[in-house]
Amino acid sequence: MSIFPYFVSAWLFLIGLYGVVTSRNYVHLIGCLTVVQAATYVLLLAVGYKTGAGAPIFADHPPGTPAVDPVVQALVLTDIVVGAAVTALLLSLVLQLQKHRGTIDPNDLQPTRD
Amino acid sequence: MNHPNRSIAFIIMAVVLAPFVVAGLWTLPPFGSYPGPYGDVINAIGTSARHITNMVTGVNYDFRGLDTLGEEFILFASVTGVVMLLRGARGEAKSAAALRIEHRRREGRSEAVAGAGRVLAPITLLYGIYVVLHAQTTPGGGFQGGVIVFAAILLAYLGEGYSAWRRMARSAVLDLVEAAGAAIYAVGGLVPMFFGARYLENILPLGQPKTITSGGLIAVVNLGVGLAVAAGFSSIALELLEETRTAGDDQA
Repeated sequence: MSIFPYFVSAWLFLIGLYGVVTSRNYVHLIGCLTVVQAATYVLLLAVGYKTGAGAPIFADHPPGTPAVDPVVQALVLTDIVVGAAVTALLLSLVLQLQKHRGTIDPNDLQPTRD
Repeated sequence: MNHPNRSIAFIIMAVVLAPFVVAGLWTLPPFGSYPGPYGDVINAIGTSARHITNMVTGVNYDFRGLDTLGEEFILFASVTGVVMLLRGARGEAKSAAALRIEHRRREGRSEAVAGAGRVLAPITLLYGIYVVLHAQTTPGGGFQGGVIVFAAILLAYLGEGYSAWRRMARSAVLDLVEAAGAAIYAVGGLVPMFFGARYLENILPLGQPKTITSGGLIAVVNLGVGLAVAAGFSSIALELLEETRTAGDDQA
């Protein structure tokens, strides 16, 4: 079972990607994209985990107490917040799409030729 | 490409790539046996080198501070993009009238929602500021605390209603605070260079461990991130809420 968390990450990536591929609605597609993103968080945190170790915070425990890798936690922490802002950017693109083309179904959109 | 074709292409690619993914996952270090050494080194030296007790903050704002500057500018660019897309299409005119889409009835707020918003907004704001300020000591920091401050600003919207909230949350102020937050980080990194140090090098006094003034430059750039995140997310919320009014509302 020592690689089980990695397969959870792969599974999240796969179902997110499946949603992106089969999506009929850009809002739903962006939701699926955040599931794909969550797969990277699970993978990063799983790689940095150390059995029996605590959080890399030494306010209550003296430095030297076994602790997990703080680097991957820092990566995930910043990406969750920045990812939310990028999701907002994508959603405002969808708003503009609805205004200009009157649809948010990827199948109804053909590449513009001019 | 239409829907069935996309699914077929997806299945073919998934079947082809699956063995490589499984092989790759199989060769990762087993779960629970982090090989190090980078994280272990930071855990070992962080407290003595920077007088901080939260190593995640240490990585974000000091040991890998330049990466976080990049992340901060992704946030800045995203917020700028949202504002340009939505405000640019709508025009600069201000209006306090919200929720005026044709065919949609304007719902009054329930007293329970307004009461809960008014009670929770100041408490959440205080908690957010606490989380921002204690980045160096306990779990927290500009990113997490900034989002909690943003939650307090949204609760104020629930408590006061749109027009009152719109008078408090002015986009000019939010734009200024967000830019100031990003500038504190970028300029805070430049200042050590005038004293012969490297970009973002921590030359400020490190202070006492487990106090909010510990960590030297970490405390400064963390505050910049907190301001930028809180104001940036508020700008996004403001622009998205403004979408619910129509162009003619300015004359009304």
